[in-house]
Amino acid sequence: MIIEVKNLVKRYGDLVALDHFDLSVQEGEIFGLLGPNGSGKTTAINCMLSLLHYDRGEVSLFGSPMSPQNYKSKQKIGVVMQNVAVFHELTVLENIDYFCGLYVADRKKRRELVDEAIDFVGLGEYRKFLPKKLSGGLLRRLNIACGIAHRPSLIFMDEPTVAVDPQSRNNILEGIRRLNAQGATVVYTSHYMEEVEQLCSRIMIMDRGRAVATGTKEELKAMIRTGEKLLVELPDLPAPVLREIQAIDGVRQVSYQNGQLVAHCMMGGHQMIAVLDLLRQRQLPFGRVFSEPPTLNDVFLEITGKQLRD
Amino acid sequence: MFCNIYLKRIRAALRDPTTLVWTWVFPLMMATLFYFAFGSLDETAQLQTVPVAVVRDSAYQQDQTLQTALQQVSQGDSALLSITYVDSTQQADTLLQNEKVSGYILAGDVPQLAVSGSGIEQTVLRGFLDSYQQTKNTVSRAVAAGVSDPQQLRALIARQDFTEGISLTKNPVTEKVGYFYALLAMVCLYGSFQGLTSVDRLQANLSPVGARQTIAPTNRHILVSADLLGGITVHTACVGIVVLYIRYVLGVDFGGKMPLVLLTCLVGSLVGVAFGALVSVNHRIKDGPKTAILISVIMVLSFLSGLMVSGINYTVAQKLPVVSWLNPAARISDAFYCLYCYDGYSQYFLNIGILLAMAAVMFAATAAFVRRQRYESI
Repeated sequence: MIIEVKNLVKRYGDLVALDHFDLSVQEGEIFGLLGPNGSGKTTAINCMLSLLHYDRGEVSLFGSPMSPQNYKSKQKIGVVMQNVAVFHELTVLENIDYFCGLYVADRKKRRELVDEAIDFVGLGEYRKFLPKKLSGGLLRRLNIACGIAHRPSLIFMDEPTVAVDPQSRNNILEGIRRLNAQGATVVYTSHYMEEVEQLCSRIMIMDRGRAVATGTKEELKAMIRTGEKLLVELPDLPAPVLREIQAIDGVRQVSYQNGQLVAHCMMGGHQMIAVLDLLRQRQLPFGRVFSEPPTLNDVFLEITGKQLRD
Repeated sequence: MFCNIYLKRIRAALRDPTTLVWTWVFPLMMATLFYFAFGSLDETAQLQTVPVAVVRDSAYQQDQTLQTALQQVSQGDSALLSITYVDSTQQADTLLQNEKVSGYILAGDVPQLAVSGSGIEQTVLRGFLDSYQQTKNTVSRAVAAGVSDPQQLRALIARQDFTEGISLTKNPVTEKVGYFYALLAMVCLYGSFQGLTSVDRLQANLSPVGARQTIAPTNRHILVSADLLGGITVHTACVGIVVLYIRYVLGVDFGGKMPLVLLTCLVGSLVGVAFGALVSVNHRIKDGPKTAILISVIMVLSFLSGLMVSGINYTVAQKLPVVSWLNPAARISDAFYCLYCYDGYSQYFLNIGILLAMAAVMFAATAAFVRRQRYESI
């Protein structure tokens, strides 16, 4: 295990930010921490990095206990902060060089690493730009370059795509995949379930400082009773027929609004055929039919009783 | 590693507009303003020619001695009197009432002086006439006693001073230099902005870059000392430039001990940076209020060191000596004063010692907070 966290408890006065939190991350993974704002993702990362005191528990990185003086482990860690952490008086090149210099003393080697990082995030044209001249997306890319220029083998990325346009977001996600392909283990936090679902090999869902579920996305979805969501376009749906659909075995909840029938089904059933058969029998013409598999939001909703983005 | 951090800090400080304004532009503007505002301050303290009217009546026409005496004291660059001749006392009264003259002289056996008030100029006129009358009487008595040798008579008239006025200080103490030294003390204390920036950017609980640097595998002592040293270097250079401007462009004298003047800049900057660093470690106060605290405290300290009111530093030193000794602005301006005024260095090095002690205490208190790498909250 590259990260091993056991029974971590962190309190801010009466507020329990981490409640007996456990985590194990294997080498080579992209591990996602998914949870709403205030669920404890950033606090967990800060405790793992030894930036925060915690009340109880153990944190071990690379097989050794993590502490502020554990420079050997720190040398192998890269961090991409949630807030952009760069010097606004230094250029793109100077910023990356400075932060890389905190890890790599050899100037020649550093120059290569800095060039590599600039190419990696696609900031070649902006080397001499001050951060204030960069757009939000480019600034985020600079933030990433500052965190990864020294080629860390473990990278913590704390919501790196917040307030970023879709194109930059795709670039960032693609970059994370490449880092992982080059051998880096990534711990990725986000409250965007699509990102986590798309990117991470394993996911932990957090709520109120607790790990409520951990596994691959398939494993997480298999944990809940919610199955596919059926969407059927039809011009008219009488109320008695809607009640008949609700009564079909395996259908949990139905609604009809704006010419669209939405039926939430149970996991593992074949309700689509039954629903469409019923519509045909009642001679109700219908248009397009969609089937959506359950999302991580469904998982979160079922486990915690609230929406992920509450 | 050390150089990397140190050079980064210098580069960042030199590109920081706040640094530029507070430590370069503002002091240079203030110094120039002082130059024009106080340029003639010292000259005004010197005695000016006293305007006086002399009534040219018949008594005056007959008194050759008085005419000669008045002629002698109203000629040349160092003339004591500026005389307006009038033909009647009415004219002289009019001039006096209109404050065109400080008094008027009426010739006679004993010349009379008319004034409308009391002051330095009236005292000068009274002194002149008393001296004239005394000399005239002495010469008359000597002639009556049979002295006729012109050399002996000249010797009677000649004035001899048996006392010599010497200055206790090497250079004359002037109000003008006091303002400039107090200004420099304030500029030194503006180094607090460098201290504030350094600590703010090193503490994970104060800024994201602080967190990023804390996470790095860099020895905390190296990180903090290199960063603070960078701030001190930049600020000392800034103060040095202001000193050079004041000395060589505005022509203000520092007593010719430029290396010690620059040492004072360095020590003053140390105190300034240490003060800013100490204020900055408190994470409960936000950046804006921290800056407001720094500016307010520096203004009060500078006021007490004589930046706005000349001589207040002496009053504070007499009435509240502890406050004066603990005021870094007063110590810095006094150190400049010592270099300007005194040949000896004991008072100067006492000031420098006190300033170094202040800086050491403040840096030690700051270090107790800054060396932490783990926080209760971020």
